[in-house]
Amino acid sequence: MKLFLSKGNPHCVKVLAAAELAGIKCDISYVNHEERVVPYLSHAAVPALELPSGLHLFSANAICRFFFETGGRDPSSLTNQWLEWEATELQPTLSQALHLRALQGKGAESAAALLPPLSFLEQSLQKRATPFLCGDEVTVADIVLWGALYPVLSDSSFMTGERAQLGGWFERVSVLQPCQLAVGAVLSGKGVEPLKGYLQKQPLPHIQRRETQPSNQ
Amino acid sequence: MALRELSSLEKSLGLKKPKKYSTQGDNKVPVLQNNNGPSLTGLVTIATHLVQEANRSELLGSSAEQRALVQQWLEYRVTKLDNCPKEDIKTIFKDLNLYLEDKVYLAGNNFTLADTLMYYGIHHIMVDLAVQEKEKWANVTRWFDHVQHYPGVRHHLPPVVVLRNRFYPSGHH
Repeated sequence: MKLFLSKGNPHCVKVLAAAELAGIKCDISYVNHEERVVPYLSHAAVPALELPSGLHLFSANAICRFFFETGGRDPSSLTNQWLEWEATELQPTLSQALHLRALQGKGAESAAALLPPLSFLEQSLQKRATPFLCGDEVTVADIVLWGALYPVLSDSSFMTGERAQLGGWFERVSVLQPCQLAVGAVLSGKGVEPLKGYLQKQPLPHIQRRETQPSNQ
Repeated sequence: MALRELSSLEKSLGLKKPKKYSTQGDNKVPVLQNNNGPSLTGLVTIATHLVQEANRSELLGSSAEQRALVQQWLEYRVTKLDNCPKEDIKTIFKDLNLYLEDKVYLAGNNFTLADTLMYYGIHHIMVDLAVQEKEKWANVTRWFDHVQHYPGVRHHLPPVVVLRNRFYPSGHH
């Protein structure tokens, strides 16, 4: 299998950590942010995994899920729920927050945007009272959320207020060797700085996007 | 919209007892209420759960590879298609059309949950497509027509007229 990654892309941190954790060996190529790896997509899609069948996975979360499943760990409903929350709720806010912070220098606005999802995570961890999101063991949900939030949570100045549970969870995932390895390979440091080149190539995030959603009700 | 989809999905899966749902937040994210355990939030999460409850796991894919493809297209539905600004719809059709060139269904040759939810999500766009556009996106139209005729899928949605002879050349049928 061929895995296509690009430096400074937080989604690539996720998939590399997931591959290492599940013990999956891939042929890894580092490409530019704009490289069109998947033949049928108009937009660049990195990370991407070329499967043995020749088909591509272009969703980072689907790739992580595939690695975990191949390694013998099937996702539970709770895991599915976290993956869906990450993709639909966290990512739109996160991409806006990273953009504000890294490219516009608006640290306070960026932190304010992230307040609701980070509080939600803090409360969820508090309620469950387990070391990881879905229980006592690390799942694909931990890796996906950890990778997404790494640029934010690894920068102490980004964190405002007391989030003891979130901080503890982030530390527990960060010290895992596959995670350290993935950060070292994809990012050149902590915080949002290593993401600049990647963020400049992304379309401008727009937060009002939901208003365009049609309603048939 | 999501609740009607889930109720149609329940029927197509043959689940007898209707489920209780609520919605959450400004985006009306569906929540499945569960008497015996915690509730489940999110269209994809709930739909996946319903398929498992109905013992139809083949609809989630029959191999790790196919399961990943199914989940990828389910994610595509709720992240790309649902929030799509008007100017990007063309790109979605272009990409899907190219992808479906050599496939019957989204995850390959088998019908899966990805087809059902993508069909529900794209229906309101297909309804408004002119005949010329349907011809331009011939692979999407062919896939859509397959899915809307798949037993038990259509339920709450009106059929979209497809001039079949344009998409099924006589030499192939």
